[in-house]
Amino acid sequence: MKEVQQVFRVLITLALALVIGGIIMQVSGKDALNAYSVLLQSALGNERAIADTLLKATPLIFTGLATMIAFKAGIFNVGVEGSLYLGAFAAAWVGFTFTELPALVIISLAFIVAGVVGGLWGAIPGYLKARLKVDEVVSTIMLNYVAISLTEYLVLGPFFVPGMSNAMSQEVALQAQLPRIVSRSQWNPSFFIALAVFFIVMFMMRRMTIGYEVRVLGSNPTFARWAGMPVRRIIVLVMFLSGFIGGLAGAGQVLGVHYRFVAGFSRGLGFDGIVVALLGRNTAVGVLLAALFFGALRSGGATMEMFTRIPRDLIDIVQALIIFFIAIDVGFGWLRRRFAPLTGGSETDLLAEGAGD
Amino acid sequence: MPYLMMQDITKHYPGVAANTDVNFAVEKGEIHALVGENGAGKSTLMKILYGLEQPDSGRIMLDGKPVIIPNTYSAIRMGIGMVHQHFQLIPSLTVGENIALGYESRKGIFVDRTGIATRVRALSEQYGLQVDPNQRVAELSVGIRQRVEILKMLYRNAKLLILDEPSAVLTPQEVDKLFEVIRNLVHQGRTAIFITHKLHEVMAICQRATVLRRGKVMGTLEVVSTNPVEIARMMVGADIDTVQLTTTSRPGIRQLHLEQLVAEDDRGLKVLRNIELSVHSGEIVGLAGVEGNGQHELLEVLVGLRRPKSGQIYICDTLATNLNGRQRREDGLALIPEDRNQEGLSNDLSIWENLAITRYYTAPQSRGNVLRIGHLQQKARELMQRFDVRANSHNTRVGTLSGGNAQKVVIARELAETPRILIAAQPTRGLDIGAARFVHEQLVNLRDQGVGIFLISADLDELLAVCDRLIVLFEGRIAGRLTAAEATRETLGLLMAGRSTENEVTTS
Ligand SMILES: Nc1ncnc2c1ncn2[C@@H]1O[C@H](COP(=O)(O)OP(=O)(O)OP(=O)(O)O)[C@@H](O)[C@H]1O
Ligand SMILES: [Mg+2]
Repeated sequence: MKEVQQVFRVLITLALALVIGGIIMQVSGKDALNAYSVLLQSALGNERAIADTLLKATPLIFTGLATMIAFKAGIFNVGVEGSLYLGAFAAAWVGFTFTELPALVIISLAFIVAGVVGGLWGAIPGYLKARLKVDEVVSTIMLNYVAISLTEYLVLGPFFVPGMSNAMSQEVALQAQLPRIVSRSQWNPSFFIALAVFFIVMFMMRRMTIGYEVRVLGSNPTFARWAGMPVRRIIVLVMFLSGFIGGLAGAGQVLGVHYRFVAGFSRGLGFDGIVVALLGRNTAVGVLLAALFFGALRSGGATMEMFTRIPRDLIDIVQALIIFFIAIDVGFGWLRRRFAPLTGGSETDLLAEGAGD
Repeated sequence: MPYLMMQDITKHYPGVAANTDVNFAVEKGEIHALVGENGAGKSTLMKILYGLEQPDSGRIMLDGKPVIIPNTYSAIRMGIGMVHQHFQLIPSLTVGENIALGYESRKGIFVDRTGIATRVRALSEQYGLQVDPNQRVAELSVGIRQRVEILKMLYRNAKLLILDEPSAVLTPQEVDKLFEVIRNLVHQGRTAIFITHKLHEVMAICQRATVLRRGKVMGTLEVVSTNPVEIARMMVGADIDTVQLTTTSRPGIRQLHLEQLVAEDDRGLKVLRNIELSVHSGEIVGLAGVEGNGQHELLEVLVGLRRPKSGQIYICDTLATNLNGRQRREDGLALIPEDRNQEGLSNDLSIWENLAITRYYTAPQSRGNVLRIGHLQQKARELMQRFDVRANSHNTRVGTLSGGNAQKVVIARELAETPRILIAAQPTRGLDIGAARFVHEQLVNLRDQGVGIFLISADLDELLAVCDRLIVLFEGRIAGRLTAAEATRETLGLLMAGRSTENEVTTS
């Protein structure tokens, strides 16, 4: 019952965004219906289109899940982007350093190191929040800048490749480069790693003690503390896990798409994770679907631009509208909670804001 | 024609018949009690009247006219006001802001703050409800918060006042004051519906009482021609025995010891001063005191959430001052917090998830970081049975339980595994007579099994009924120590009001 309602609200959000995006197009003199049908064609019309959709969805699955885990615990982690950068660099470093290792070993190692590095990066604001009550929104945003600049420094400084004009690292060893599955598409097996992470996260949240702890902490941190839960440790652990998955996202992009670390390559994949998590209503299945939806929009948008006179900006407009409507929806939820006393909701959510120590 | 008539009201939740064909009539100017066991449907009926819930069927007549109450705004417009079982104030706002919220008087587009403050002051003087409009609600004690709730109704000009268990959280003195206020309001032509589990309160201020049982009206009684026993029988459907609980303690080894404990509150003010006390196995030690005299901070210190400034805590002979909550619980501590909605439960989670929290991380509740959900749910069902938690299933969200049933979930969890030392703060708050009695029996049983029990309560009857020794807390100090034999309502009342009997310092 409640779930049906949730799905319904998500569908309304999407429908509104698409309709208003269409109106904007129509007003600016383009044929909206045609644009959408081309978009659909380019996203799902053939094998290559589908592969591209899955390709674009891959990092979003990772970052959406990473963000979701933290949200569920009531921690507003905006720092997945930073973990993604550091993880990406770590994966590249493994890839161009241990070139003697066999394929399976070097790929596994790269993903693991990327995860750990991203996780430790995420654990820093987690620790600051748990110990010193530093607000995680502020600290993670700032650490994002640090991560982006730090990785750029690494490829320009210590890991500078002579003769390379752009800020990028060496290429990773040949056997570390994930193979392409479909011709003329960059779709690669990191998608299946994302799927595996999806199943693991789902299992973790539903069946494992950490999932239970996250639920309790996210729903009422005061209760968690009074019941003797090690709240600080849980906050740090959740931030580590969130960062870990963010790091995997980076590794997937490096080993699957770019084959090297390129400074500033992500352009907000980590932030897109927030939108994906919100559109997916903070559930694992929702995140997967939302990531696929955005993947389709993006891959479709790129192709559409080539075949019609419709600029790719349409995709940005639709995406912005989705964010806008989610913000309204979430905002209303927040308002309802804030003024729950007037409408008779429970006061607990109100007091439960922020996970404290 | 009665002032209010609710006719054939039916409200069913999935699997629960909260109200079935309820007929409820209130005359103008009366104080009408609504009584019944936990989960009988009292709050539901009142939520329907206040526009928070819609009945499945039935009609409401107010002042002789049929009305439809789709939301609280229309209820308020019709002159209906409600003070909820759980207060609905916003802690971060001031008293004045809370009272005026949504009904601010304005100057142009600006909220007229001075106007509001003036009106709040006038109202509070008129009804003897002293408050400071500029204080933040977060800083207020429960008793004062309730005053704010009542003022909020009056500010909105409520003519029909619904008070859902207003006395549950108050001390005897505060209850007396509340009654004075209610009588005062009724004298001025208002009408009150009063929900309580304390039948002597019904006898004290109500003219009539309507009894609900499992969602159905059992009857309406004239208070002058009835007595608590008759009301109770109607509520439960059987006689409740009123046998005295045996109070023969055999104190054994020390289970809890506080040594020269000093603690400060969040603002750095000393709220506990040199507290020295012990609780032994096989005895029930009561801590009496008006709320806000350091009890809350003491509980935080005991559960490991507040670091004492100085002094030591021993739990079962282990120095526990630096142990965290989980370690203390593993050493044999169990604790029923004061505020079940905040500290004792998560309303968004299911019953089994709320019951699991104390032991979920060890075998057999989990195995290698994987919860054994089936096992936990099975255990939850057993506990629900044992503690008579009335709910559809172990998957029911705790937020939908009636107040009393929610409290039973907390108690079931804390008593599930026999503790060595049980700290119980207001354990029967919101429980009906039968359930409260059940809890008292449990406490006495545990004591007889050798558990040390530290009972923190504002309910003198409860303290006198079960405690072997009593300690009175006043302004963070121990104002007196009494044995059960010495304690009377009067002596306790005096000590709680700060009149220290200097004969204390008989450190146990
Ligand atoms: N929103 C809801 N969803 C499902 N069931 C509900 C909901 N609200 C109340 N109930 C159920 O309806 C029944 C009556 O609840 P209600 O709160 O009216 O009891 P009450 O008489 O006020 O009890 P108490 O004295 O314990 O406060 C209970 O069984 C409760 O679990
Ligand atoms: Mg109730």
